[in-house]
Amino acid sequence: MHHEYSFLFKPVNALLIAILGEPGEKYLRAMGAQPGEVFWLPDHVIMAMLAVALLAAVLIPLSRRLSVERPSNLQQMVEMIVLGLEDLLEDVIGPGIGKQFLPFIAALALFIFTCNIFGLFFFLQPPTAKTSTTFALSITAFIFYNVIGIRKQGFKHYLKHFMGPVPALAWLMFPIEVISHVARILSLAFRLFGNILGEHTATGIFMVLVPFVVPWPMMALGIFGALLQAFIFIMLTMAYLQGAVVAEEH
Amino acid sequence: MNRRLVTLSLVFVVLALVVAPAAMAQEAGHDAAPAKSLGQFLGAAFAIGIAAAFGALGQGRAISAACEAMGRNPGGGGAIRITMIIGLALIESLVIYALIIAFMILFG
Repeated sequence: MHHEYSFLFKPVNALLIAILGEPGEKYLRAMGAQPGEVFWLPDHVIMAMLAVALLAAVLIPLSRRLSVERPSNLQQMVEMIVLGLEDLLEDVIGPGIGKQFLPFIAALALFIFTCNIFGLFFFLQPPTAKTSTTFALSITAFIFYNVIGIRKQGFKHYLKHFMGPVPALAWLMFPIEVISHVARILSLAFRLFGNILGEHTATGIFMVLVPFVVPWPMMALGIFGALLQAFIFIMLTMAYLQGAVVAEEH
Repeated sequence: MNRRLVTLSLVFVVLALVVAPAAMAQEAGHDAAPAKSLGQFLGAAFAIGIAAAFGALGQGRAISAACEAMGRNPGGGGAIRITMIIGLALIESLVIYALIIAFMILFG
């Protein structure tokens, strides 16, 4: 499959090569460059940085201009999103405890949605269509919910959850639980990667076959899929958080 | 100001949609890879075909159960809808795993 590049790939790398010189052989091989390609930053890294920059450029000025009496349209829209996420958190994790995870979950949701929606623009590439980005996201979520669980319940008590309900079967339950937890990393990453890559590829094929009008339903499906995949990712992260945080009642 | 913003964003969207096919259609595929075998084509086709068939069956059952529940309990519509969407996405992810394998068979 041939790879396309976003419009920022060549300029940013040309700039970096001008400033820093060309990267060495080992660096290029570690970055997975095909023979002949020379770059400092791969395309998906540049696109992910662009997503973060866009979100910061929209949200940080908004946070300075918050107002209670006369909220701007953007403020109302962002309030809708943030309050919706907060309600979801309280619903899934628990009435008092859900709210503290709002920054992480909201950041994850907005970042994933922005990355996914890049696939609809011809001059951008979605960074979530590469396994690097999706695995980074899912490993981050995995580390997050484990650290929260350990912090809340103490290391030994948290490990006791892996033993299962009956102590006699702990030797059997422990490896199964560990494998199922590691499988969560894989499933989160591959679900997001497969959906976004599939939609991106299918839209690309439609555009090559019939460039006018026919790709539009695929792009509409792409918008819906981008939103849905971000929602599913945070839903599952919240479910794992709930499993890690909500204690006992054995 | 409001109407101008809306018009501007609509113009941008229409431009993006119209220019997109022209920009993308210029990159025609060129595979300079070793020839693909019949086994690759058959394997990939059957992988995604069987996965899509069974995935569709499973999703059909999920949606029919959700519709029935909504009919019996119109008040619980919101919660049932969200549960249905989550269930559909989880079933679909299994089909996506098969699609990834099909891509790996065909292209790697």
